[in-house]
Amino acid sequence: MDELDILKKDWNKSSGEHKKLSIKDIYPMLHKKSSSIVKTLFYISIAELIFWILVNSIPYFYSDEYKQKLEVLYSNEHILTALTVVTYGIILLFIYLLYQSYKSISVTDSAKNLMESILKTRKIIKYYVLYNLIMAGVTLIIGFYYALHNDPNLSRNAANFDNGQMIGVYALLGFIAIIFVIIIWLFYRLIYGLLLKRLNRNYTELKKLED
Amino acid sequence: MNKELEHSFVELLEKHQNIVHKVCRLYTNNYDAHNDLFQEITIQLWRAYPKFRGDSKFSTWMYRVGLNTAITLYRKSKRRVSTQDFQGVEFKIKAEDYDDTEEQQLKVLYKAVHQLNDIEKALVFLYLEDKDYREISETLGISEVNARVKMNRIKTKLKTILNP
Repeated sequence: MDELDILKKDWNKSSGEHKKLSIKDIYPMLHKKSSSIVKTLFYISIAELIFWILVNSIPYFYSDEYKQKLEVLYSNEHILTALTVVTYGIILLFIYLLYQSYKSISVTDSAKNLMESILKTRKIIKYYVLYNLIMAGVTLIIGFYYALHNDPNLSRNAANFDNGQMIGVYALLGFIAIIFVIIIWLFYRLIYGLLLKRLNRNYTELKKLED
Repeated sequence: MNKELEHSFVELLEKHQNIVHKVCRLYTNNYDAHNDLFQEITIQLWRAYPKFRGDSKFSTWMYRVGLNTAITLYRKSKRRVSTQDFQGVEFKIKAEDYDDTEEQQLKVLYKAVHQLNDIEKALVFLYLEDKDYREISETLGISEVNARVKMNRIKTKLKTILNP
């Protein structure tokens, strides 16, 4: 008889140290708050959606200067409309994908499938953040380029720069942008890393069994 | 959700609560953590209950939800038993402990099972519950062959833990 068979004999007869719960004990449990990682993930994704929508929208609605600059930049109003439609279209697409992904998470699935659905949802959020980071980077570069060429003060100063100084300015800006992106990226890694640490470990373990 | 549904669920859970207690016993190591996990499994069971069609046994359905909650959804890791904490720090199993009385032997065996990782515990749990390899493989989402191979490895691992 091996060890587990010895344990099996005892397993079913012992009820452990826990007292049997009555129906009265169980009722209030149904209405308590869940502390599941899916719920946390859901709140984080909602927060991220709102955060990036605000980042994209607030300057436009609250700064007339920014609005004017955009209107000058995109003198053709159709381009601005098209860009707005594309931006919000992408956000809507992410909301749809997230919704579908959350719907597919089922606690009655096999352990491996459940883990995969959660990881897939996390991946959609990751792409959403990545998309916004790239857009933020591109906007910064374009904004800087235009400011350098169109802003009277900046372009006057820039005209005095030689090539070496110009490269230096670009390199410095590039460096700042990269640091900024890395910090945000690490922040996300930390949040999701902590939240999904155990899931990732268990998923790796299950995958290992199939190799 | 209506009262009737709530009532039928609570009655079923009360009847089969031992399954949830056993999951908690395996995945936690103190009273508070046990209650915490029991609470979370209850919430997950209740949420999934409207979709429970009765084509599988309530108990079989509970195994799945219980284990999925314990190894995937449950978040309060501070109170959970940590595999690392146990390894060589919390206790060391000595050969003489294991050879003692049956009660002592069982105590040591439970401690040894606690040293296994989450997935290994899930396999052991289903094995102790007398589930066949088909059901074990379906619950975990791995092939039947791999479930068997892993189970044999766990048995060997337990032997090593018990006879260092």
